[in-house]
Amino acid sequence: MTTPTLQNYHGSLKQALGDDFLRQTLDNFAVQYRANRQLIFADVNEKGLIAEIAESKEASLDHLEELYAQFREQAAKKGITVHRAATAKEAQELVCQLAKDYDCKKIIKSKSMTAEEIHLNHALIEAGLEVTETDLGEWIIQLRHEGPSHMVMPAIHLSRYQVADVFTEATKTNQDSDISLLVKVARQELRAKFVEADMGISGANFAIAETGTFAICTNEGNGRLTTTLPRVHVAICGIDKLVPTLHDALRVIKVLPRNATAQAITTYVSWITGALECQRTGTGQEKKLHIIFLDNGRSDLIKDTKCRQALRCVRCGACANLCPVFRLVGGHRMGYVYIGAIGLILTYFFHGHERAKVLAQNCIGCETCKDICAAGIDLPTVIQEIRARLNEEYGSTMDSALLGKVLQNRKLFHTLLKFGKWAQLPVKKGRYIRHLPDIFAPYQGFRALPAIADKAFRDLWPSIKPPEAPGALKIGVFAGCAQDFIYPRHLKAAVDILARLKVNLEFPETQSCCGLPVQMMGQRQAAIATAKGNIEAFQPFAPDYIVTLCASCASHIKSHYADLLAKENLGEQVKAFTDKIIDFSSLLTDVLKVKPETFVNNQERVGYHYPCHLIRGLGVVEAPKTLLGMSGQYLPSQEEDSCCGFGGTYSMKFPEISGVILENKLKRFEEAGVTCLVTDCPGCFMQLDGGAQRKGGKLKVEHMSEFLARHLAK
Amino acid sequence: MSTINTAAVDLFVAKAKPVTIQIKEVSSLSEALTLTLEICEQKPLGKLMLPVKDPDAPRKKTLAAPALAAESWDYLVKEGEKKGFEMIRDNLRQYLAGIDVAFSVATMGIADTATSVLESLSEDERLATMICETHVVALPKSKIVSDSYEAESYLRASMTKDRNFIAFVSGPSRTADIERVLTLGVHGPLELFVALINE
Ligand code: SF4
Ligand code: SF4
Repeated sequence: MTTPTLQNYHGSLKQALGDDFLRQTLDNFAVQYRANRQLIFADVNEKGLIAEIAESKEASLDHLEELYAQFREQAAKKGITVHRAATAKEAQELVCQLAKDYDCKKIIKSKSMTAEEIHLNHALIEAGLEVTETDLGEWIIQLRHEGPSHMVMPAIHLSRYQVADVFTEATKTNQDSDISLLVKVARQELRAKFVEADMGISGANFAIAETGTFAICTNEGNGRLTTTLPRVHVAICGIDKLVPTLHDALRVIKVLPRNATAQAITTYVSWITGALECQRTGTGQEKKLHIIFLDNGRSDLIKDTKCRQALRCVRCGACANLCPVFRLVGGHRMGYVYIGAIGLILTYFFHGHERAKVLAQNCIGCETCKDICAAGIDLPTVIQEIRARLNEEYGSTMDSALLGKVLQNRKLFHTLLKFGKWAQLPVKKGRYIRHLPDIFAPYQGFRALPAIADKAFRDLWPSIKPPEAPGALKIGVFAGCAQDFIYPRHLKAAVDILARLKVNLEFPETQSCCGLPVQMMGQRQAAIATAKGNIEAFQPFAPDYIVTLCASCASHIKSHYADLLAKENLGEQVKAFTDKIIDFSSLLTDVLKVKPETFVNNQERVGYHYPCHLIRGLGVVEAPKTLLGMSGQYLPSQEEDSCCGFGGTYSMKFPEISGVILENKLKRFEEAGVTCLVTDCPGCFMQLDGGAQRKGGKLKVEHMSEFLARHLAK
Repeated sequence: MSTINTAAVDLFVAKAKPVTIQIKEVSSLSEALTLTLEICEQKPLGKLMLPVKDPDAPRKKTLAAPALAAESWDYLVKEGEKKGFEMIRDNLRQYLAGIDVAFSVATMGIADTATSVLESLSEDERLATMICETHVVALPKSKIVSDSYEAESYLRASMTKDRNFIAFVSGPSRTADIERVLTLGVHGPLELFVALINE
């Protein structure tokens, strides 16, 4: 098997981006899925259930060996033989051996991601067995000799015409492209396979320890036939599918189909307790029933405190559905066997670091997946952790040239230069680069890139610091690199507004980068040192709040500092600091309670782009809309909360993807008829403004602070 | 379990609609059987999914009810044969090319997902309900609970005491694997009727 290099990965991304059918399909799906998901979750407590699933899955992982022993005992009593396979190879061999022992020639399968994980079909065919997938999507891709492009909808990348071609070839009869007719072809062709098969192979969504029951969820009913017709049934699942009680399974079923396909439940859930009669073996005989629990790295992953949450996954596939990267390039480029956010992670653990090396880079960190994960997994954080490990293992070689350039561009990340291998990078004379090196031009054509401001905010501060306001709130300003050095005007506008609202402002000079960019690059030590420095910088001032105009800084500080600094013996200091961090919009609405009178509203048609780190990172939804409603005519637009494609260094690494995301994003605002687009993060601003400039600059882009300052009442 | 939770029944009916389950109200099991005969009569003759020796030979419609109690079965056979159906009680493996209608009785209903709970120890019943074109499930209203947690203690007991094959059936067999277009009847039934028995 060849492993992808960054270069051929870019090639295959480009190819996918040129597949209009794929993009249109995934885009339509994302839009419909989002709406349907919301409806189907309306009658259950989504967040509550997800939290319970996360908790119960964690508890199961803690007691997996006991659960396995219990399941084995219960299942054995009821005629099921239980096996355990340490590796993919062992599992393959087990199934082949069972086929031999029971003299099986023909095998049918219902869908199993675990079987895909171990490339079971491949092994069975090598062993001379005939294998037929019976899930329609799986059958289609089997006929095309390719892997799934989505965990729940494996053939979502194909059109009806392509399916008709495949069926024409398979049946040697010309097939119409009418979908209902194609489905009938499958019904007919596969029925014969069911009847002939000696062995049925299924997955299992749950293995319930208390009763030795396992359950299979399907919509097509192929699971029910696969487990009933052949005389031998082999179920295969990861050891992570063990749950203590029926209740745990019922709970997951309340979420899994809702999250997977926006159904309240899959059409069929089969609960198999023990081996039952099978007339195929002769009257009164029992079915030969085996279940294989696959380890394949799972036991080690359980001990991996940072990443083990990935084992909570219930395989709903949802983390791909709304992912901005998946939507553009599909599952064959956004995963290996497992697809989407979880695919980036599981590839690393189940299919080797080499294979994950390039793949793990392709995440913008927008947190969309985390927001809807059925098991409450913090997917982007685990992806970042894997990236850090890959960097440690391989060095940053995989993208070092480009990363180096990024770094030079970001000399403003001055603190970064103090650390490790970055220290010896050539430093240009003077404090900042005024313009980006030309070398970026070929990659970055999709947007204009900003120059460094003539005067950084830290240099402006002494001359714009507002007078003290005795007795009023003390508010610290956390500038963040981008606004300190590139967009000091955002901060200046905020200072104007806050001065009007009469608060005490302070800008501690020794603050620096929040540390997110270095964390994203996997430079953990640098991330820790910057975090510590920032806490120390604000200590003497003892502010009531610390405001930042950068949603990414705010979200990084709030969600990662505690973890990063866990071993630094800083005690309560860390929490005291992170609790005070607040985004600019929320400070104005929730703390300072601004009134419409503060602004002149001339009904400017304004749209809003939600930074990922604001809406998902900090959970801020209403504040920006409230402010824009006071100061202009706020016009909602489609998917205003979807990622703009920036993602810091991501847009440098994968400009082809970032550019298309941006294009789609700007189109939606144009459709909504806005003349000014506002956001709350300098990263998003850089991306959106750069894109709007490239398009001729008709759409004005502003930070919230600029828009409000422009509408401040005299 | 003889009282009827009307709120749960209403919920079941409401949730059945979007998943294309066809709800019928009947007063007794025998009325459910009569309904099944009518459904069989009205549907077109089923298609065969396996090659047969003489595809043009005249065929009877087929109706299977493997797990039905003797008394009800006798009634069904008598009435079915009057209508010219082939009535099937066992040996379903002889009919894998497909049958027209399967009838079964649910042991429980779960309202919030419009689920019928089938406990099919008999292979014949499992096969009949999958190879039929139309599946009719009889479900006494008194057996309908609001959600799966309410069914939990019953289900657990049934899984604990012995071997079992329980199925939650919440609609006809469906797929959306080609261009995400919802299509019914990929492997199993093309339509599902639930006859709610008023008891
Ligand atoms: S964080 Fe965003 S880009 Fe990354 S995997 Fe999740 S949804 Fe995709
Ligand atoms: S990681 Fe979460 S969202 Fe993704 S498949 Fe697993 S449970 Fe579903």
